Amino acid sequence: MEQVERIMAHRTVPQNKAILKEGEPNDCLYVIVSGSFRLTKYLEDGRRQVTGFLFKGDFFGVRACDESAYTAEALEDSLVCRFPHAFLEEISTASPGIKDRLIARGQTEYHKAQDHIVLLGKKSAEERVLSFIELVGKSVGATADEDGEGRVIPLSMPRQDIADYLGLRLETLSRSLASLKKKGVLRDIGRKSLVLSG
Amino acid sequence: MKQAWRKYLAARAPRYTSYPSALQFSTAVDDKVYQEALSRVSLYEPISIYVHVPFCKQLCWYCGCNMRVENHYDRALDYVDSLIGETRLVSAALAGRGRPSSVHFGGGTPNYLETDEIARILDAIECEFGLTDDARLAIELDPRLIKRGHLAELARLGFSRVSFGVQDFDPDVQLAINRVQSFELIESCVCDAREAGIEDVSFDLLYGLPRQTPATFAATIEKTIALGPDRVSIFGYAHLPAALPRQRMIRDRELPDTDGRAELSLMADEKLVAAGYGRIGFDHYAKPGNSLFSAACAGALRRNFQGFTDDVATTMIGLGASAISFASGVYAQNAKTVKQYAACIAEGRLPTERGVVRTERDEAYAKLIAELLCQRDADLEEAGRILSGGEIDNIKQCVMPFVRDGVVTFDAARIRMAPGARELSRAVAAAFDPYAGAAPALARVV
Ligand code: SF4
Repeated sequence: MEQVERIMAHRTVPQNKAILKEGEPNDCLYVIVSGSFRLTKYLEDGRRQVTGFLFKGDFFGVRACDESAYTAEALEDSLVCRFPHAFLEEISTASPGIKDRLIARGQTEYHKAQDHIVLLGKKSAEERVLSFIELVGKSVGATADEDGEGRVIPLSMPRQDIADYLGLRLETLSRSLASLKKKGVLRDIGRKSLVLSG
Repeated sequence: MKQAWRKYLAARAPRYTSYPSALQFSTAVDDKVYQEALSRVSLYEPISIYVHVPFCKQLCWYCGCNMRVENHYDRALDYVDSLIGETRLVSAALAGRGRPSSVHFGGGTPNYLETDEIARILDAIECEFGLTDDARLAIELDPRLIKRGHLAELARLGFSRVSFGVQDFDPDVQLAINRVQSFELIESCVCDAREAGIEDVSFDLLYGLPRQTPATFAATIEKTIALGPDRVSIFGYAHLPAALPRQRMIRDRELPDTDGRAELSLMADEKLVAAGYGRIGFDHYAKPGNSLFSAACAGALRRNFQGFTDDVATTMIGLGASAISFASGVYAQNAKTVKQYAACIAEGRLPTERGVVRTERDEAYAKLIAELLCQRDADLEEAGRILSGGEIDNIKQCVMPFVRDGVVTFDAARIRMAPGARELSRAVAAAFDPYAGAAPALARVV
């Protein structure tokens, strides 16, 4: 494992830059060292679907392929580490299962697809929004707010992305956030972060 | 139109808004079959949602729709509850899969419902299926029920397409069909829609109505052009008084004959095209720049229950009494009466009453017919991958009379409609459609 980590090449990805593009070949496995990414794909009807968000410690590009099934773009200036699949194959003869052990430390695009189905299965807008906030909190790690009574969840993605991801209209997302605040579930709503009570 | 072609105008042919057509539906498709079909929809598959509102304030005598005149708004409120119940049942079967690309409210008269009820239905669709800002919302409107501020409310809910049931502007024709609505009323509706920022306004017109003459219908078309809707559809009135008792209010002797109908339809076509509208399929027109026009130019025109469309979703979820869905190769139609429909929902059961499972062979015919109607050019070679050589030969034989009359041309690989023959594309399709021969009481081509 140490040998692997020594070889990995760091690469900075500026905000809005795509590191993987739908339909283009991919031959590397990536792990996010810092920052966050948005996964999207184009549907048959030409609309763009946000299929997931990846945070520090998450993996993508899990399989080498001729045509990536999605695009991965940085939501903020981010840092990734990349492992060429060819290299992983090579060392896996010496230490079998190395790739799986590596990935076991974080979530991959496949976990995110699962999360998405679960979220879309929630039947009220507020429930969907709250589950999403908690999911992000779990992934990024929430920090305590100033008086220690709330948990600050950073949100690096624009509201429209959240709405698209949750299958909601932007207005419904805003209404749900406002309602969660009114109920005291949220303490504060900021553009780049939310504060959950308790 | 060429003299030799006129004989085909009296031919009867399915409308081909589905294939196989609703005449092939049977009780073999029930709620279980539909449920299973829904479970095979894929995760981000575009789905097109249709909401049927079966109520009207007053009966038009030409009406062939599934509707009823309802004077008690309470009953409409109950119906809205059933609709919302149905969204829950369908969404349980979809389990998070599918992504609405459009929602279309049709009827009956969708604006029989107040805006609050329409908003409630949209909210349910959003919660159950997911609804994002890029989905297109469309609604059919009865101009007689539009109040001040109504269109602005609809625009606020996100509707970007409205179609007005205009039919005919002539007061005498309007009397004969029991649908009286002044030019000024329609004019103010169009103004309201434009002011509200609704970008796509459409008119539905009918030819073949009682008391219509070339002169009255020419005036209707001229008024239409003056109001400048983005899209126009012109359907032929299907007079079937034996099957539809309400149509007995229309006097047979006041109806134009087949030649008269053809004249009306061709005159309307000429005028609209001269005014800059593009022909879409065989009964739609759209201004250049309209998305339907662009789709037709790009060869992306499709046909579904709403007629010609630029909606790319193959999966259709029909909500409400008599609504038809299409998912994973299954057509499923809901119970037709409001009462039976509501009873199913109350029992927690999908209200599917009948339908048909499309076979691979049906699929090949469906594709050929859609290509002929939408692109005027059908790919026989492609169909030959599924259909046998004998079947392809049979198709060629069936269209031979049309070839002789110059309606279509064909070679080994394709059937093409001749220029100016688009009105006859349904007749050509019906000639080789294995189901059409056996079908009774179909609508006339013109
Ligand atoms: S408004 Fe439409 S559905 Fe209602 S009666 Fe008239 S034609 Fe039929």
